[in-house]
Amino acid sequence: MKNGILKHLVGIEEPKALVVGMTGKQGQTSSKLMMKMGTNVLAGCTPGKGGQEVLDKPIYNSAKEAVAANPELNCAVMYVPAAAVKRAAMEAMDAGLKFAVLTADGVATHDEAVLKEYAKAKGCTYLGPNTVGMLDTSGYLFGMIGGSATWARKNYLPGCVGVISRSGGLSQLLGAFHCRPNLPGPQEDGSFGPLWGEQYPGVSAVLCTGGDPMPGVTMIDAALAFQKDERTKVIVAYGETGTTQENDLAAAVKSGQITKPIIVFLGGMFTKAGVAQSHAGAMIRNEEETYTYKRKVMEEVGITVVERPDAVFAQTAKVLGM
Amino acid sequence: MSALPEYKTRVLLDNEKVPLVEGVFVAAGAELPDPLPEPPVYLKAQIPGATSRAAQGLVRRCDSKEQLESGLKQLLAPGSWGQAEGVLVANSVNMKGEYYAACMLDFGNADELPHGVLLFSTEGGSGVEERAASLHKIPFSLLNLPSADDLIAKLGKVAGAQAIGKFLEGFIKTYARYKLIVLEANPIGVLEDGSLLVVDCRAEFEKQAVGKKDTELFAAAPVTKEDKTHLERLVDKVNEADPAGTGFIRENREPAPEGAWRVATNLCGGGGKMLWEMTTGARKDIYTMNESDTSGGLSAFKSYRVLRAILEMEDSQVLLLTGSGMGFQNQHYVAAAVWKAIRESPTPLPALLRFGGTDEDKGRELIEKVAPSLPVPVKTYMPHVFPNAMVDDVAAMATKQRIKVTPEPQPTGEPSFRVDVPPGDFFFFADKWDKDEAPPCVGACPNNFLFWNAEQRTVEPVEGARCIGCLMCEVVSLLEGNGELRIRLDLPEVD
Repeated sequence: MKNGILKHLVGIEEPKALVVGMTGKQGQTSSKLMMKMGTNVLAGCTPGKGGQEVLDKPIYNSAKEAVAANPELNCAVMYVPAAAVKRAAMEAMDAGLKFAVLTADGVATHDEAVLKEYAKAKGCTYLGPNTVGMLDTSGYLFGMIGGSATWARKNYLPGCVGVISRSGGLSQLLGAFHCRPNLPGPQEDGSFGPLWGEQYPGVSAVLCTGGDPMPGVTMIDAALAFQKDERTKVIVAYGETGTTQENDLAAAVKSGQITKPIIVFLGGMFTKAGVAQSHAGAMIRNEEETYTYKRKVMEEVGITVVERPDAVFAQTAKVLGM
Repeated sequence: MSALPEYKTRVLLDNEKVPLVEGVFVAAGAELPDPLPEPPVYLKAQIPGATSRAAQGLVRRCDSKEQLESGLKQLLAPGSWGQAEGVLVANSVNMKGEYYAACMLDFGNADELPHGVLLFSTEGGSGVEERAASLHKIPFSLLNLPSADDLIAKLGKVAGAQAIGKFLEGFIKTYARYKLIVLEANPIGVLEDGSLLVVDCRAEFEKQAVGKKDTELFAAAPVTKEDKTHLERLVDKVNEADPAGTGFIRENREPAPEGAWRVATNLCGGGGKMLWEMTTGARKDIYTMNESDTSGGLSAFKSYRVLRAILEMEDSQVLLLTGSGMGFQNQHYVAAAVWKAIRESPTPLPALLRFGGTDEDKGRELIEKVAPSLPVPVKTYMPHVFPNAMVDDVAAMATKQRIKVTPEPQPTGEPSFRVDVPPGDFFFFADKWDKDEAPPCVGACPNNFLFWNAEQRTVEPVEGARCIGCLMCEVVSLLEGNGELRIRLDLPEVD
């Protein structure tokens, strides 16, 4: 666990988590999953519910109270409604927590802009909003990746692929499929067959940066963490139109900050400018946010861009010489 | 993104004490104010999102009472512009100059934090777009809003800087308070004494940013029946009764190209939609009947109802469904919804089904087991087969003629018990279970919601337990029992 991705992302070697909104239905379900996956959850908090116990963990009224009673807490995962995310996240940052996962969908764009600035001032990092979270195969999970512990344990196995995704479903898919023995996929000769044998590549960690326009952890933040992560040999990402994240990734490769091979499944070839998308962050606002522009700048610096998800796994196999 | 008409934008500005030209709003269908404001006045039809209103005749100057009365009558009635929400009757003011101001968001990038941007020009009025060079572009923090003095310092040498700074401070406060995407005032009138007031304004906002207390103010114009199809309204009603998770469809308004295969889709999440778009975006031989998204932990009850709506789309030839990877969207439950929808729909479609995510193998096994009993062919795919490969089977699976069947009847009459959310009527048929032990549906519930009352020989809900609407009890009852437990999932009535 000490060598998990959070060490490189935020300098946390042993995550000790507070679950904000732990008394709610989703908070409880996810806390159970997180704990079964090895996450060290120390406490929960919900305003007005202090003094209760949930899943044998103490509940406090606020992050501040929780940290006062458990000074070793260093991160939080939040199951609070979108309208309450800004306040809850700022409170967690004020309490001294250095990392948070904001799962809620529908957070106001203004709130996201304010949070980015606040987090920077406080020296904090957060994943999301609108994320299914992150999973590290060294033994922790924040959020809902995998769904059930049985499924997550079966499908997310230690290995050398670092996964970054702007989509919840695709983050789970890109992670799980790298852990399947004999995964069939497109071969270079046009046939469809096993890309690797019993020995699958596996994943170091899966980071879902979320579908919103101003994510806390961006694709480049995640990629820089994987660059430092000794387990990770190849970075695999799902990118799409909207925001400059893929362009920033290309710039980091060009400047030599990232040297590990990167494979990107880029969505949005047919997305029209100015049209709202299922992911709020995928809306194109200018030329630099289009599929064509992003593909061009990434390919120019040697990032492998593919148009279909199964081509990702074929490229991973190729990069790893499997 | 939604647009707020001028008269409502004025309320936002007024709440932050930004000075406005005096005016009265007359709502469509409401009594005219008595007395009417004294001319000269301007009549401004209030239509959310409307631009270039003057060119369309939606802004009129009235110099007499007669002009005012007839102008009001015309603008309050439906016209080529549709039906205005009402008319703003604004006083005419003598201006010695016109300024321009707007606030918007800069989403930032790897080197720059997101921030607000103030655009300001001392050359406002119509055609401001052509005078872009005159715009001051002032970035500002949304965390620590700039004061009037901050703004004055950033504006540099501008005549009347004190008045401008104070005005813009309130303008930015309004923008931040209501979390607007765009706030624009054009023109801002400069009066003889140098004071400023907003003559015209507009705003764009995010629905998700509207606070509870402001709901009425930001209420969008009522959606007319013509804006949504019958099936879209049906799904809206499904969501009202069962709000957890996303259930969304939007029918394609574009006509299908001749000869194209018409594919009804049930996709999951933004990623699922993207996979299908990447596959079919350039293909003229595939016509997507609808956008859809069933994700975010919706119940199988809701999946079933959305699917029933999708299966009802006229002219569809085949259904394509892809699951995602969300854990709480157990694919076994989704498969149960698919099975139920296909066997209970009067217009089932041949189906291409790819389950992906938790228990995808169980989902696939269920469909493969029941496939021979279905009225249409279904084909399942391994999770590593994506839409880019599934699409190759569309032509072979699509029906040439719409299939109409007499579906499996749903139970009628009073249910044994009812679940309110997610809504479903449970029927236990004691005559179909003559054993002493509990029927298999009881043990099938993952949430221990069902209890076997051996004395009464019936299945009952456990007090305090919750039904998650997964359909496992019915599935097991049909496959392993004797059909003793059935669930009726009514579709909502739509006007």
